[in-house]
Amino acid sequence: MIKTLSNNISFLRTMLYLSAFVILVVGALTYRSITEVTKSSEMVTHTYKVNVELEQILSNLKDAETGQRGFIITRDSVFLDSYTSGRSKINNSFAELKVLTRNDTLLNTNLIALNGLINKRLIAFQTSYSSLPKDDIDDPAFISNFRDGKYLMDSISVKIKSIVSLQNNILETRKNEYENDLMATPLLLFSLLLCSLVLMYVAYNNIYKNIKKLKATNEALEIFKESTNQSEIVSKHGSWTWNVKDNVFTFSDNLYRLVGEQPQSFKPTIENFLNYVHPEDVEQLSKQTEQMKENVELPYIYYRVVHKNGNIKHLKAYGKSLINEENDTVLLGTTADITDEIMSFRALEERNMELERNNKELSSFNYVASHDLQEPLRKIQTFLSRLEDEEAENLSSKGTKYIDRIQNAATRMRLLIDDLLQFSRSNKADKVIEESNINLLLEAAKQDLAEVISAENAEITSDTFPTIKVIPFQIQQLFINLLGNAIKYKAEGKTPKIVIKHKVVDAEDEENIVKPKKAFYHKITFTDNGIGFEEQYAEQIFTLFSRLHNKDEYSGTGIGLSICKKIVENHSGYITASGQPGKGAVFTVYLPID
Amino acid sequence: MQEDYINIILADDDEDDRLFFTDAFEEIKITTRVKTFNDGVYLMDYLNTDGIQLPNVLFLDLNMPRKSGLECLREIKQNEKFNDIAIAIYSTSASEEDIEKTFIKGANIYIKKPSDFKTLKKVLSEVVTINWQYHTNSMNKENFLLRF
Repeated sequence: MIKTLSNNISFLRTMLYLSAFVILVVGALTYRSITEVTKSSEMVTHTYKVNVELEQILSNLKDAETGQRGFIITRDSVFLDSYTSGRSKINNSFAELKVLTRNDTLLNTNLIALNGLINKRLIAFQTSYSSLPKDDIDDPAFISNFRDGKYLMDSISVKIKSIVSLQNNILETRKNEYENDLMATPLLLFSLLLCSLVLMYVAYNNIYKNIKKLKATNEALEIFKESTNQSEIVSKHGSWTWNVKDNVFTFSDNLYRLVGEQPQSFKPTIENFLNYVHPEDVEQLSKQTEQMKENVELPYIYYRVVHKNGNIKHLKAYGKSLINEENDTVLLGTTADITDEIMSFRALEERNMELERNNKELSSFNYVASHDLQEPLRKIQTFLSRLEDEEAENLSSKGTKYIDRIQNAATRMRLLIDDLLQFSRSNKADKVIEESNINLLLEAAKQDLAEVISAENAEITSDTFPTIKVIPFQIQQLFINLLGNAIKYKAEGKTPKIVIKHKVVDAEDEENIVKPKKAFYHKITFTDNGIGFEEQYAEQIFTLFSRLHNKDEYSGTGIGLSICKKIVENHSGYITASGQPGKGAVFTVYLPID
Repeated sequence: MQEDYINIILADDDEDDRLFFTDAFEEIKITTRVKTFNDGVYLMDYLNTDGIQLPNVLFLDLNMPRKSGLECLREIKQNEKFNDIAIAIYSTSASEEDIEKTFIKGANIYIKKPSDFKTLKKVLSEVVTINWQYHTNSMNKENFLLRF
C-alpha cells in the first residue's frame, strides 16, 4: 500500500513538472509570437515610412521641376523657391532614409543609385538655368538639356518605383513568413493546451484513484482498529506506547479496562497508572519502567493491579523500544491480564500437590499392604507350620485337615496380598501381555473360589473362550473378583447362578464403547441372579472404596471392582455394570482384538 | 571359651518373631548365644556399653519404634569398634527400596522373614555359618538378598 502510494506521489510530481514545463513553453511561445507580431508591424511601418520618404522625394523633385518650369516660363524668381525648398526637403528625406535604411545594404545601394540620379537631375536643373539663353527656350542646347532632365526624371521615377516594389516584395515575403509562423504558433499552443489538459486529466484521475484507495485503506484501518480493540478485549490484552523523550504515553482502550476503568477515563501517564498498581508491586514496577528507558528489550514484567472494587488482577507486560523518525526512543508495549492463567496454574499446582499427597498415601498403603498385612499372615503361617511339625500327633485327622485348609487360605491370602501389591505398584508396561487360554484362567479363578462356590452351591456356566492377548494373572484376578462379587451379593433364598458369555462384537454397535481404539472387541458378560443394584450406582461401584452396602451386611473392602476397572483399562478395554434391584446384575467386559 | 559359640543378637520389636528366632536357634545344632532387644534404642545402648562381648552376627529388624533398624545400621557403620559385626537385615518386607538402602549403608545380607518354621531354621543356620570374611569380599547386590 505504502509503496503504491509513494509511486503515485512520484507520478504526481512528474505530472506537476510536465505541466509546469508545458506552461513555460506556452508562455515562451506566446512571448515569441507577440514579439514577432510587434516586429512585423514595425517592419511594415518601416517599409511604409521608407516608401513615404521616397514618394516625398519624388514629389519634391516634381515640385522642383514645376518650379524650374515656372521660372523658365516667367522668369520670376518666386518659382525658384519651390526648387530650393524642394532641394533641401530632398536632402532631409535622404537623411531620414539613411537612418531608416542603415541596416539594409540592398536598399542602401539602391538609395545611393537613386541619390546619384537625383544629383544628376539637380545638376541638370542647374545646367538648364545656367545654360538658358535669355528668353530663348527654343535654343537647341537648352531643349536637349531639358529633355535630358525629363529622362532623368523618368528614370528617377522608375528607380523609386522599383525601390518601392522591392520594399513591397520584401514586406510581402516577410509577411508570408510571419503569417506561416503565426499560423504555426496557435496550432502549437492549442496542442500544448490539449496536452496540459490531458496531463490535468491524468493527474486528476490519479489523485481520484489515490483518494479512493486511501479511503478504502482508511476503512480497512478502521476495521483493523476495531478488530484489534475486540481482540484486545477477548484476549485480555492492552497496548501502550511511551515516547521516552517527551514522556508522552498512549494507552489503548482495553488497557483501561485491565485496570477496571472506562476507556480513556484518565490521562495516560505513568503516575496515573501506578495508582492502580498493587502497593507491594509499585516500587518494583517503577524500577523496571526506569530500566525500560535504557534497554532495547526487556524480560516480562509481572505485577498486580487493584480495581476500584478491590479485585486483584495479575498483569504481565512486555515492552520493546523503537527509534522513530524524529530519532526519539518510543517504547511499544503489550500488557496482558494473566489472572486466569495464574489461577489455573495455582489450581494445577494444588492438584499436583494433591496428587503427590495421594501418591504418598498410596505408597504408604503399599507399605502397609506389603509389611503390616504380611506380618500377621506370616505369623499365622509360621505357627501353623510349627503346629503341623510339632503337634501333629496330638491332632485328630479332622484337625489336621482344618490346619491344611487354614494353610491353603493363608497361602491364597498371601498370594492375593502379593498380587494386589504388585498390581497397585505395577503399570501396564511392567506386565507381559501374552496369548492366554482364558478357559484355564477361568478355571483357576474358580479353583480359587472353590470353597465359597461349594459353600453357596453356586452354579457357574460359561462359554468356551478363544485365546486372548491378556496379562494372565490380572485376568484371573478379574474373574475372581467378578465371580466372588456375584456370589457375595447373592439374593436371599436363591442359589447363585452366574452365566458367563463371550462373543466378538463390532465396536460401533456397542454404545458402551466410547472412542474405541480397535474395530472389534471380545465382549464377556457376567450375568447373575443376585441382589442387583440401583441403576444410578452403575458408575459409582467402580470407584475405589465405594460400597453400596453396610459393612455389617456384606464384608468387603470396596477395592474389588475398582481393581477390575483398572485391570480392564490396563488392557485398553471397557467395563460396565447394569443392574436391577432384586433381579441381578450384569457386568460386561470388553477386551480389544488386535 | 570365646570360640565355642557364636554370639548372636536380634533387635526386633515383635514378640512372636523374637520367640521364633530364639526357638529356632535352640533347635539348630550349632552352639550359639542369642540375645534379643525390643528396639533400636535398647540395642544401641547395649552395644555401647563397655566391656560387653560384641556379637558375631547382628540381626536387625527394619521397622521398629523409637529407633529403626536403618538408624541402627548407620550408627553401627559410623563406629569402627563395630567393624567386625556381620549385619543381617531381618525384615517382613523385601521392597526394592529397603534392599537398596540397606545395601548402600553397608549391611551384609538381607533376609526376608520366612513364613514357615522349617525354612526359618534352615535360613538362620545358613547365615550364622557363613564365612563372613569371604562373603563380604564377594558381596554384590545380586547375592545381598538371601534366597531360599
